[in-house]
Amino acid sequence: MKKVININFQGRVIPIEESAYDVLKVYVESLRRFFANEEGRDEIINDIEGRIAELFGESLKKGSTCITEEDVNNVINSMGRPEDFEGEESNMQSQLGGQQEQKNNSYTETDHGTPRGRLYRDTNDKMLGGVCSGMAAYFRIDPTVVRLLFLVLFFGGGSGFLLYLLLWIILPAKPLDHVSSNRRLYRNPEEKVIAGVASGIATYFDVAVWIPRLIFSLPLVIGIFSSFISSLFWFEFNPFPGFIFGSFGGTLFVIYAVLWAVIPEAKSASEKLEMRGEKVDLNTIKNTIQEDLEGFKARAEKWGGEFSQKAKEFSTEFSSTVNEKSKQFASEASAASKKGGSRLGNAIGILFKAFFLFLAGILAFTILVALLGMIAGSVSVFPLKSFFLEGFWQNFLAWSTLVLFLFVPAIGLLTWLVRRIIGATAGSKYLGFTFGGLWTLGWISVVLLVASIAQNFDAGAKDKGEIKIVQPSTNKMTIKVAASDLRVVSGKWFKMDGLLSLDDDSIVLNNIRVRIAKSPDSLYRVSYVKFSNGSDENTALKNMEAIKYSATQEDSVLYLDRGFKLNKGSKFRNQGVTVTIFVPVGKKIEIDENVSRKLNHFSFNSGRNDYDWDDEWNNEGYESWMSNQEYIMTPGGLERVKKIGEENDDISNDEDSEKSAIEEYKKSREELRKEYERKQKEAEELKKELDKPVDTTRYRYQKVAILDPHISGPAPKSKTIENPEIIEIGSELGRFSLLSFQS
Amino acid sequence: MDIQNTQSQMRKGVLEFCILSIIRQGEVYPSDLVDRMKAANLHILEGTLYPLLTRLKNAELLTYRWVESNSGPPRKYFVMTEKGLAFYSELERTWKELADAVQVLTQPATPPATEN
Repeated sequence: MKKVININFQGRVIPIEESAYDVLKVYVESLRRFFANEEGRDEIINDIEGRIAELFGESLKKGSTCITEEDVNNVINSMGRPEDFEGEESNMQSQLGGQQEQKNNSYTETDHGTPRGRLYRDTNDKMLGGVCSGMAAYFRIDPTVVRLLFLVLFFGGGSGFLLYLLLWIILPAKPLDHVSSNRRLYRNPEEKVIAGVASGIATYFDVAVWIPRLIFSLPLVIGIFSSFISSLFWFEFNPFPGFIFGSFGGTLFVIYAVLWAVIPEAKSASEKLEMRGEKVDLNTIKNTIQEDLEGFKARAEKWGGEFSQKAKEFSTEFSSTVNEKSKQFASEASAASKKGGSRLGNAIGILFKAFFLFLAGILAFTILVALLGMIAGSVSVFPLKSFFLEGFWQNFLAWSTLVLFLFVPAIGLLTWLVRRIIGATAGSKYLGFTFGGLWTLGWISVVLLVASIAQNFDAGAKDKGEIKIVQPSTNKMTIKVAASDLRVVSGKWFKMDGLLSLDDDSIVLNNIRVRIAKSPDSLYRVSYVKFSNGSDENTALKNMEAIKYSATQEDSVLYLDRGFKLNKGSKFRNQGVTVTIFVPVGKKIEIDENVSRKLNHFSFNSGRNDYDWDDEWNNEGYESWMSNQEYIMTPGGLERVKKIGEENDDISNDEDSEKSAIEEYKKSREELRKEYERKQKEAEELKKELDKPVDTTRYRYQKVAILDPHISGPAPKSKTIENPEIIEIGSELGRFSLLSFQS
Repeated sequence: MDIQNTQSQMRKGVLEFCILSIIRQGEVYPSDLVDRMKAANLHILEGTLYPLLTRLKNAELLTYRWVESNSGPPRKYFVMTEKGLAFYSELERTWKELADAVQVLTQPATPPATEN
């Protein structure tokens, strides 16, 4: 099986085998090189091509369907190879006497192409100005090496760029011929995983392909293993320091991308030979092409029929879609830039391509890490499963989710990665189907599991209650969290909201939220709202009733429970508690820092923004709050009480110029304090007034307005009537309707 | 001393002279030229011939005209110019002198001297 292409050769369309075309191209190229310095080079080549075209035409006339490799070889034999010309040519010239003065025949004079003489910019082989290529010709080294050196200089402070510009300006341009028997660094398209950089390097240094591949994929491999190892243990354990994976890994990625952009791909047979460092002559070219063909035959036989092709496509689906997409984009980009006709545009196209495949690689890696993370997470959640899952089916689905949805793709990706690294072609046709099928089952179990768990959270229930407290003797209350001997669970991979501790038959939840509000009277009050979900209202209610939460008090210090217990048999159904502490106007409150540390969902609402307050989590009215600071409740909400010493500390650092500002600040603070006292008096007066039975609603309305100036607009009068009455009664029910009034 | 090298150098020395003498006899297509030389047992690669013809043409010793061909691109047929004729007769004279000299010298069984 051979591919036949049509070429336009000397104005005629000639069907030719692709391999034969390669040979022909290399041959014409070698002639061109041989006659490089000949005066009538183009004419000579043209004549020879014309004759070749004529010979092809004859052979096609005889009835062959296309030009084969054999035809090309016959033609080449009769035309002669450049190395056959050598002796004849040099003699001819001397006979013709003086017509060709300076004939620098690269084949006869030196082995290294143009003799070292002047430093030029090479217009034949350039990416920007041909500076690197010219220098390479001067030093007789691979231009790619020079380009890389310049890139290093460029990224190492930009001096490379200046040097390049300078050389660009200074050096004269000249088309140079690179006929080098040295090896050149190419990307090897025959054995490639991403772009053939690693295998090109391997060929250049004559080492096994897997060595550079392993080096490039080292951060990947280390990352996978270390994350896997650390996930197996609950504690943080990383056998490799972070920088290996962090900067080192990133650098390797960048290096790969840069090499990709800089190193040319060995496309033609002669470039492939250059890559292997063999001398470019027609025999070796023939050998290479034969190798190619044999390799292709072997591959074709290996793949066998259509089915295995499909299996291969399937198993490499991931890589191909990503690759195709980026290649497509890159080719579009480079096509667009080629239209502009500039080499610079081409370079940008290459960079685009590199960038997109770089992204694709990172994406694939991220997916793998995420999968491993999820596996580790679900393994550590497993002790909890009896609190989540109900009945056989949910357990079954949980297991199949873990195995099919998470393990299968992780193993699939790992297999794929390893196969790409060791360079194996797609193997069994069933492998891809099996992985795909199992993963589909995994998806189904995920959906079913989520649906059935979601059903268990369908209904909700909540209840309100009050914790009885004794009023503190001072004007200040301190909130702390009670000490407990609970084992605190915290793992790197696993931090579930609200879960505090876990042992064999119970878990402790600390879904507890603290809120501070203004007390309607002069008493500190603490109330709570318990809530829970369940599959129906009865179970939700039962779950909610099972929550035991309270607080203890030691004079002015209130100890909140650290959590509440779920016993074996009961399920986690989003149980939680909201604690509201009502602080009377003019009294202080201080919240110990262990509250925000130990309660899961500590959020603070000072009551200043009295918008929609939800008893459950939904309200995220966080305000900046400082622990271990005294706050005072004012009619306008909580204010921070600043200690005088602290204030001085703040100021002592500052310069004289700010003294006036300090004075102003002190004054305003004084005024503020006076206003507190005034307001406090007013509030007390108001309370006295309220204690008396009074009738006029208008009067009450005004007083309430003073009590809470932040209620704007005409509040419904009925509620203002309700308010004082409830305080008089002091019943729990009344207080909670007060809560709803505030909201 | 490589015998083959010497032999080919001897052949090459007269090659140009032979080519010019064929072209002198009339308009010729390079491929036919190769065939005629082959028939006379003087082998030359076509790839060598084309640059040689081009050089001779550039030296205005030869000129050519295009002839349409039905088996390929148009062919170049070469003819000799006046200047070429003069050049040829110079070469012919040299060749005769050389041949005579060789004739004389080879009689007492001396090794062949290299030309030029």
